[in-house]
Amino acid sequence: MANARRWLTKTLLGMLLTTLIGGFAGAMLVRFAPGYGVDERELDVRLSTKTITAIRRENAQQHNLALFYMHYLAATMHGDLGYSMALGRPVRELLSERLPETLTTVGVGLGFAWSLGLGLATAVVLSRDSSIDALASILAGILLCLPTAILALWFFLAHASTRLALGVIVFPKIFRYSRNFLLEARSESYVIAARAKGLSEIHIFLGHILPACAARLVSLGAVSVSLALSAAIPVEVICGLPGIGQLAWQAAMARDLCLLVNLTMVITAITVVVNSAPELLKKGACA
Amino acid sequence: MKTTASFLLLWISTLLTGASLSAQSANELRFSIHSFPKTFDPVLVDDDASETIRYLTGGVLIRINRESQRLEPELATGWKLSRDGRTITFTLRDGLRFSDGTGFGVADVAYTMNHLMDADLHSPTGDAFRVGEGKIAVKVLTANQVAITFPAAVVGLERLFDQVAIMSQSSPRKEMAVLGPYMVDEAKPGAVIVLKRNPNYWKVDSAGHHLPYISAIRLDVQPNRDLELIRFLRGEIHFINSLDAEYFEKVKAENPAAARNAGTSLDSEQMWFNQVPTAPLPAYKKIWFGSKSFRRAVSEAINRNDLARVVFRGHAQPAIGPFSPANQFWFNTALRPHPYDPTSARARLAAEGFYWRDGALYDSSGNRVEFSVVTNAGNRYREQMATLIQQDLSDVGIKLNVVTLDFPSLIERITRSFNYEACLLGLVNVDLDPNSEMNVWLSSAENHQWNPRQTSPATDWEADIDRLMRAQASSLDDRRRKQLFDQVQAIVWDQEPFLYLVNKDALAAIRPELHNVQPVVFRPQVYWNIEWLTLNAVVATRQ
Repeated sequence: MANARRWLTKTLLGMLLTTLIGGFAGAMLVRFAPGYGVDERELDVRLSTKTITAIRRENAQQHNLALFYMHYLAATMHGDLGYSMALGRPVRELLSERLPETLTTVGVGLGFAWSLGLGLATAVVLSRDSSIDALASILAGILLCLPTAILALWFFLAHASTRLALGVIVFPKIFRYSRNFLLEARSESYVIAARAKGLSEIHIFLGHILPACAARLVSLGAVSVSLALSAAIPVEVICGLPGIGQLAWQAAMARDLCLLVNLTMVITAITVVVNSAPELLKKGACA
Repeated sequence: MKTTASFLLLWISTLLTGASLSAQSANELRFSIHSFPKTFDPVLVDDDASETIRYLTGGVLIRINRESQRLEPELATGWKLSRDGRTITFTLRDGLRFSDGTGFGVADVAYTMNHLMDADLHSPTGDAFRVGEGKIAVKVLTANQVAITFPAAVVGLERLFDQVAIMSQSSPRKEMAVLGPYMVDEAKPGAVIVLKRNPNYWKVDSAGHHLPYISAIRLDVQPNRDLELIRFLRGEIHFINSLDAEYFEKVKAENPAAARNAGTSLDSEQMWFNQVPTAPLPAYKKIWFGSKSFRRAVSEAINRNDLARVVFRGHAQPAIGPFSPANQFWFNTALRPHPYDPTSARARLAAEGFYWRDGALYDSSGNRVEFSVVTNAGNRYREQMATLIQQDLSDVGIKLNVVTLDFPSLIERITRSFNYEACLLGLVNVDLDPNSEMNVWLSSAENHQWNPRQTSPATDWEADIDRLMRAQASSLDDRRRKQLFDQVQAIVWDQEPFLYLVNKDALAAIRPELHNVQPVVFRPQVYWNIEWLTLNAVVATRQ
C-alpha cells in the first residue's frame, strides 16, 4: 500500500512537472518567435504617438521570459491565469467559454471514430471475410492520406456536422491498430482451441479476443485523445468552431504569450493525464 | 447485429445532419463577422467586429450620411461650432430613452465625452479629438444644451462625432444600454452575437412605423472567407459586406443580381521603399531608395492597369495618391495615375547613371539592381500583385524577390528592426478627412512608413509636407484646407514615397430578399442605412 502511494505521488509529481515544462517551452517558443511584442494596432493611423507608445510599453512588460513565467505561476496559485493582450479579456474567462466546445468536439469526434474504427475492425474479425477487410483498409488508407483541412472543408460543404470531421481524421489510426490487435488475438492458440470446442464467434470474441486486447485498446484510447486534440486545432480554425483550437491559432498569430502558455499547459495536462490513465488503471486494479 | 448496425447508421445520420440545421426567424438578418468583438464598450473600439456592433447599436449625436458624405442630425437636433473652432454646442433631441428605459440627457453626453477623453484608456476614437495639451471641458447650458470645449481647435470636429456612441451615465447596464437601432440580446463568445430591435429607438418612417424594420440581426463569427461565401451561396447569410474580386465573380456567375459593385473604394494598395537611415541595408541600396528618379522609374515600370485587370479581375482602378476619387471633396482632381512607361523608366535610370549589361540593370558603382519586397503571407492579391510587379521590373532589368511574412513578423520589420527593402501593403481609409492621416504624413509620426519618427525632416519635400499638413490642421476654412492638402497630394504624387498601385472597388454580395440596400464605398458599405433595410417586400414598397 505504501509502495502504491509512493508510486502515485511520483506519477502525479511527474505529470505536474511535465505540464510546467510544457508551459515554459510554449512560452519560450512564443517569446523568441519573430514578431513577438508587436501589435497590429501600431499600424492604425488614427492612434496618437502617446497611445502607440503606451501599447508598446504594455507589450514590453512580458519581455523577460523567466520573470514572466515566475509571475505567471505565482498568479496561477491564486486562480489568476492572466490577461489575453490580443483578445482583451482574462484568460480564465476565455478558457471557461472555449474548453467545453473543444471537449464536445473531441468527444463527438472520438465517439464517431471509435464506433466506426472498432466497429469495422470487429466486423473484419468476426466475418473472416477478406473483401470486408480490403474495403475497410482501403477506406482507412484513403482517409489517412487526405489532409485535415480538406476533410474539414468537405464536411462543411456536405452540410454535415463538422465535429465528425475530427472523427474521420482519427478513425484510420483506430481502425488499423484495433484491427491488428484483434487479428493477432484471433490467431492465439487458446482462441483456436475455443473455436474447436464449438463456441460461437460472438462468445469467442467477447470472452477471449476482446479481453486479450483490452489493455492495448485502452492505451490506444489514450493516444487517440492526443490525436483528436491536435486535430481539433485545424478543424476548429477551418470550420469556425469556437473552441480552444481556434483560440490557440488566434493566440499564435497574435503572439499572445499569456494565452498561449495557458493553452499549452491545458493541452499538455490533458495529454499527460490521458496517457497516464492506462497505467493508473492498471496499478489501481493490481492494488 | 442488424439492430446494432441500424442504430449505428441512425446515430451517424443524426450527427451528420442535425448540427447543420438551426431555426431561423423570418425577420432576422444574418451576416458574418470575421472575429468576435474585443469589446462592447464603444469608446474602446479598435477592431472591425467591435466597430460593427458600435454602428448597429450606438446612438450618435451626428451621423455622416454614407451616400452623400454629408452630416445629418441624430441625437442632436442641431449643433453650433464656435468661431475659434474649440467649442461645439449641441442641442439634444427631447424625450429619448436608452434601450433599458433610462432617460437620455446632457449628463450622458458629458459622461461619454469624459470617458472618451480619459487618457488612460487610449481610445482610438478619443485620440482623434486630442489636440494640444490640456483637458476638455463639458458645460451643461440648459436641460437640452451642452457645450464641449477642447484645448485647441479641432479641424473637422463635427465629423468626428460620427464615431462617438453616447453611453448612459446612470444605467446599471453600462455600455449595454444603447441609443441605436439595435441592442445586444445574446453573445456566445467566438460563435455568434444576436442583436434585437431596440424598443426605445426614436426613429419612425413617414407612415409612423417604428424603425428599424428588421427585428433581429444574427452575426455569426466566421473567420474563414471561403466558408462565408459558401454560406452566402447557400442562402444562410443575407450579405457579404466586403468581397474579394474572385469571390465577386463567383457570386456574379451564380446570381448576377446579387453581385453589387459600389464603385472605387477609399482603400488603396501601395508599395514603398525603406528610406530609414539606420536600416541594416547596404549603403548603395539606401542611395537607390532615397533617389526620386529611382522611385519614379520603378513606378513607371509597373503596369497598374494590368494589376487591376489581372489581379482584381477589372474591379480596381490605378491609384493616384493618398485619397481615391471616391473621396469627393478632398481628392485632388488635377492629378492622374502614373503612366505605364518602361521607356521613360529606362531614361530616368540612365540619367541617374544606371546601365544595362546582358539585360540586367547595374548602378554607377557596378552593383546589380536587385531588391526584395515583403508583404503579408496569405493575402493572395498582394502575392499576385508582387508577382506581376516582379515581371514588370524584370523588363527594365531589375530583379525583384518576393518575400511573404506573417503579419506580426512583417510589422516587426517595418516598425522595429527596419530589416526590409520594400514593402507592399494596403491602407484602409476609415475617415474622409486628411487630418486623420496626420500620423502618416508628418515626418515625426509613427506611421510615416518609409522613414518614421524623424527628429527633423530628412528632405525638403518632407519639410514642405509637414508645413502644409500643420497648416491645414490649424485652419477652420475647409476651402483653404483643401488647397493645402491638394499641394500635399501633388508633392506625394511627384516624390512617390508611396507608390500607389490600385484602389479596389467596393464589392458586395447581397441576396435579393434583402430590400432597400444601397451599397456605398464608405464603411459600412451595405448596412449603413440599417434602419431602413427590410426582408419584407411589402414594407420595402412603402419607401
